[in-house]
Amino acid sequence: MITSGIVETDAAEEFIEEIEKSQDALPKKIDANPKTVEKGLAKLVLTLIELIRKLLEKQAMRRVEAGSLSDEQIENMGETLMKLESKMEELKKIFGLKDEELNLNLGPLGDLV
Amino acid sequence: MKLYLYGIIDFSNQITESVYGLEGAGVYNIPFCDIGAVVSEINQPIQDVTEGVVLEHEAVVEKLMADFTVLPVRFQTVIDGRDNLLSMMQCYYRDFEDNFERLLNKFEFGIKVIWSADKIKENIIKTLSKEQQKRLELGSSPSKKFMNEKFEKYKIDKEFEAKADKFIKVMDMFFNRFAAEKKIEKLKTENLLLDAVYLVEKDEESNFREAFELVKSARPNFKYLFSGPWPAYNFVVLSKKSGLLREPEQADLFDKVTQSQTLVGADII
Repeated sequence: MITSGIVETDAAEEFIEEIEKSQDALPKKIDANPKTVEKGLAKLVLTLIELIRKLLEKQAMRRVEAGSLSDEQIENMGETLMKLESKMEELKKIFGLKDEELNLNLGPLGDLV
Repeated sequence: MKLYLYGIIDFSNQITESVYGLEGAGVYNIPFCDIGAVVSEINQPIQDVTEGVVLEHEAVVEKLMADFTVLPVRFQTVIDGRDNLLSMMQCYYRDFEDNFERLLNKFEFGIKVIWSADKIKENIIKTLSKEQQKRLELGSSPSKKFMNEKFEKYKIDKEFEAKADKFIKVMDMFFNRFAAEKKIEKLKTENLLLDAVYLVEKDEESNFREAFELVKSARPNFKYLFSGPWPAYNFVVLSKKSGLLREPEQADLFDKVTQSQTLVGADII
């Protein structure tokens, strides 16, 4: 068999592991067949909520870093983010979803979260 | 009769060399204007995707690559009959021509780099601890403690990303000199620092390899994977607007390609 392309590495197993890890984390489709439609939909909705939660958290941290929040605002924001995180944990448990499942591959646009 | 499609080539005559593809079937070229679709006949869709089948497909594409510019198609692309194949060729002819022009005498190379995310984070935490006196103390209520923890994590993640950006920028400086185009993905996993493909002129192959060796020796504690030369799997661009037919007809013809395969530009490496 003629193959001109070569693969050179001294850590083949580690690369296989990392590539598999990156692929496992990125389901290309929402599982929405009749039997699992509820979980499939929950996964989609929770993925979007998780995206928004992470964006909110990041923005809050940027503001903390910039020193633009008052003591009271930090207290309020902390309480909100804490409650949001705990609610998400609750919902993930209800639908039997793990953190790594809350992601979507948007093809050429990359990963959602 | 179903046709298993390996790729589109910038050649419209018959391939003189004997090439055998999937299930040992003879591979031949179906001409359209000045280009051709390289196919073999297949009785039924591939049931079991084995390593052997993938390598048979890849071997055909690489054999073609030695003599022609190849627009490789996704593994398992089966077209229902010669007429549908020719219609598809007509639809995408201008796109194919544009790609041939862009990809002439160029190969694709893949580069992946692993770093130890744990060690990098350990070092970041050490550095940040040294700067503890500058640390922002937000308070001791549960919500402020929560914010404190999140802020510490945010700083570590930010520094981690900054280090990744810095390393990738330096590595890319070496490769970019010899590349016509590139696609770079950063931190697909925490350890997979870089996953990149570069489109390189055939004449620049040795320079590109040399650049890779230089990067490797500069950072021996990272792990590297170099692959290629491959056909330009990641650099074929289809606009789907350039055909000779009107849009609805194009869509209809595109649907006839079985298994909803995107025609060109798949990554099977």
